[in-house]
Amino acid sequence: MFEKLSQYLVPIAGKLNNNRYLAVLRDAFMLAFPLTIFGSIFVVLTNLPFLDKIMSEESLNTFRTLFGNASPATMGIMSVFVVFGIGYYLSKSYDVEAVFGGAIALVSFLLLTPFVLQPENGEAIQNVIPLDRLGAKGMFLGMITAFLSAEIYRKVVQKNITIKMPPGVPPAVAKSFAALIPALITLTVFLLINVFVTAVFDTNMHDVIYKAIQAPLVGLGSGIIPTLIAVFFIQILWFFGLHGQIIINSVMDPIWNTLQVENLNAYTNGDPVPHIISKPFMEIYTVGMGGTGMTLAVVFAILLFMKSRQMKQVAKLGLGPGIFNVNEPIIFGLPIVMNPLIIVPWILSPMIVTLVSYFAMSSGMVPPPTGVTVPWTVPVFINGMMATNSIAGGLLQLVNMAIVFVIWFPFLKVIDRVNVKKEQDEMNKAS
Amino acid sequence: MKKILLACSSGMSTSLLVTKMEAHAASIGEEAKIWAVGQDQAKKEMADADVVLIGPQMSFLKGEFQKEAAKYGINVDVIDMMAYGLADGKKAYEQALKLMGDK
Repeated sequence: MFEKLSQYLVPIAGKLNNNRYLAVLRDAFMLAFPLTIFGSIFVVLTNLPFLDKIMSEESLNTFRTLFGNASPATMGIMSVFVVFGIGYYLSKSYDVEAVFGGAIALVSFLLLTPFVLQPENGEAIQNVIPLDRLGAKGMFLGMITAFLSAEIYRKVVQKNITIKMPPGVPPAVAKSFAALIPALITLTVFLLINVFVTAVFDTNMHDVIYKAIQAPLVGLGSGIIPTLIAVFFIQILWFFGLHGQIIINSVMDPIWNTLQVENLNAYTNGDPVPHIISKPFMEIYTVGMGGTGMTLAVVFAILLFMKSRQMKQVAKLGLGPGIFNVNEPIIFGLPIVMNPLIIVPWILSPMIVTLVSYFAMSSGMVPPPTGVTVPWTVPVFINGMMATNSIAGGLLQLVNMAIVFVIWFPFLKVIDRVNVKKEQDEMNKAS
Repeated sequence: MKKILLACSSGMSTSLLVTKMEAHAASIGEEAKIWAVGQDQAKKEMADADVVLIGPQMSFLKGEFQKEAAKYGINVDVIDMMAYGLADGKKAYEQALKLMGDK
């Protein structure tokens, strides 16, 4: 029965993984990654809880102001990198000049962006771009625009509607001229879209997409039920030996990343963090506790309480990587894959733990992740503290690991007994 | 010299297996170049390899990689799950040899 399900799931996983657009989206967010890490480091540094005890209020404020532009320059304008990334990687996937694809996508995005700041009361300020349009608020419009723009660009290029320079012209110049007509056509399309939307509907594409698509989708994704469903599917996919996160993230990352940027914007402004669910929540409170399924707790349970030689060998191998949240040794070595004996704790404990984390945060006991990016390979407890800027964030993880330990224990004992008996029988046969 | 390419999601979990495989090859006196890359570089790096082994959690890549590998006349397969999980360098190396032998 499992074999049949596996045969059904593997091609779906393959299609999702290889889908051109999802792969490009993945690469575009990867482009933003080192930048957001940089910004996050400084948010963490300028918000360390003990700073007010070693600095005067005045010097702390100066410190924060001086180092406070790392985050707006990176996380605050993340849509810029995502838009450029999509334009670049999509063009690259079609084998057309990628850097022009990126630049054209960026300009297309800017053409749809109002260059005016409308404060609540008072006069509109011209010739400025409100920062949040380049960040969280512009994310979905940015993604849609970049894909559309790069598609138009590459179609024009592939139809050969370009100016061809005679040989002897330096390649950079020739490429620039070749990009001219595709750029003109693509950018005119977006200019006209903006004309239409502002003249006829007195609005702009940012607000349209935000209200129609981004806000509903992101609102949906920030709820506990869709999150539990995502966790469920991640576990099921791993049960069949498929990389659950790569597949589920390709769909959910745009939403989770947007939630993260919205959180960070609020946090750096000193406002309360709006969302519990975000990309850091998924990374720190699901994967970040010893790997998918929080298997570090399983490793400890085996090392401390189980007797089977084979299980102890697997656990010993899994301990080192597990501390850094890499757990393929456990997934393929225990094994977890296709092992009906552990399907219950494998699916149940992450879902229960996610529920516990959510309620710990919604009740105010633990602060939600602030939105800084913490690499998921940072060990448990440390990553929880860094993500939430609190000790409670780390303690929650320890509580969660205890819950995983307790749920797995009876199932591990059953497997242990089976294995021990097998090992004893083998020893008796040999002697 | 045998050239064995391992492909994984980001090359992290496979690097342990690479070390174990190299150790095994050295212990039986064979020369082997074994390296691991993420799935994005695998297609390019295949040009340098005699055989490609895929991490089992990326098994859905097998068909796509096989098409690319056919251009170089080399075989592709998914690493035996237990060998991967237990970082069994010997088993994985022998699996690679068998795939190369059928050329």
